Amino acid sequence: MTNRRQHFADERLLQLLAEQIKLPLLQIARQAELARTTENPLELLNTIEDTADSSLKLLDSYLLSLRLARAHASIQLEPVSVAAVLNETAAGLSHLAKQYDCKLELHLSGRYEPIMAHRAGLEAALNSLGYVFIEAQSAAARDGRAVIKLAAHRGKTGIVAGMFANMDGLSADMFKRARHLFGQAHQPLTQLTAGSGAGVFVADSLLASMSARLRVAHHQKLSGLAATFATSSQLNLI
Amino acid sequence: MAVILLLEPDTILGRTYQATLTKSGHKVSWFRSAGAAISSVDEQLPQLVIVELQLSTHNGVEFLYEFRRYQDLAAIPILVLTNVPPLFKAFSVGIWEQLGVVAYHYKPLTKLTDLTRSVDRILAPVT
Repeated sequence: MTNRRQHFADERLLQLLAEQIKLPLLQIARQAELARTTENPLELLNTIEDTADSSLKLLDSYLLSLRLARAHASIQLEPVSVAAVLNETAAGLSHLAKQYDCKLELHLSGRYEPIMAHRAGLEAALNSLGYVFIEAQSAAARDGRAVIKLAAHRGKTGIVAGMFANMDGLSADMFKRARHLFGQAHQPLTQLTAGSGAGVFVADSLLASMSARLRVAHHQKLSGLAATFATSSQLNLI
Repeated sequence: MAVILLLEPDTILGRTYQATLTKSGHKVSWFRSAGAAISSVDEQLPQLVIVELQLSTHNGVEFLYEFRRYQDLAAIPILVLTNVPPLFKAFSVGIWEQLGVVAYHYKPLTKLTDLTRSVDRILAPVT
């Protein structure tokens, strides 16, 4: 990517992130205000803490995406256990999911050989996707709790890992449009979320740095966003 | 006590606004989607509607047009509580009036006390 194009992409992502980060700051400000007039504010304080923690993670993921984008050519991919990354991401998102009354499930169809990825980058990408999915699914839940699956399955060219849910509006066309609207629209992912959906584009940038493209995928009967990773050929020989 | 319909897509903010207005003595029915909010008015007519314009799928303006199609809902005042800055308001003042919007609050600048004050002012003649 040329310097000018890179600068433009960075600016667009920063703009979306600024829109996105307004939400948790607003949640924190209003909950703190409510806590002042609440007899037992412990629950509110817990939510404030979880909200701040997950926002910090999103900001860290964004900063990592910048570092990886700069170092794209020199990133060393390493064999990574997809099960371990999905497990850790699920644990990291569990507090946020609880606040949003979402059920987070882990689904691995079988045992997989390690995939070639940048471990911290992959975890940050899944975490950023989780942020958007939890917020979006919580708003869309009609009856009962929203369920989000962190899942992996074997695809034609490698291991597919990503986040899946019962999302009516998510399609390859919709995601293509969202990419096109990225940086131009206030809300490029209106079919998915009421927010700016910055987490999706942070994940997109992180995965692109690992030469893995974020795309619409399906897992069992659910739709979601995922990327395909090559398996570690070195370890296949062992 | 007034019945308030709150259309707020975010779970944490919805919970916070609902708790605040309930503390002020109102009955708050909170919905996260425009479709669910429209369906709810068949069961109970609200005296005030609070709406976020930024929703997924159908936006808040679409909701307002749909809401105003029904004669029995025509007189219900609307308070917009949104993340869309006032400068971005795409319509002229006349359109907002036509849609029955009596107050427009930009969320980042609207404290809970501002919200309750605005709600009380709007509901004053009917409570």
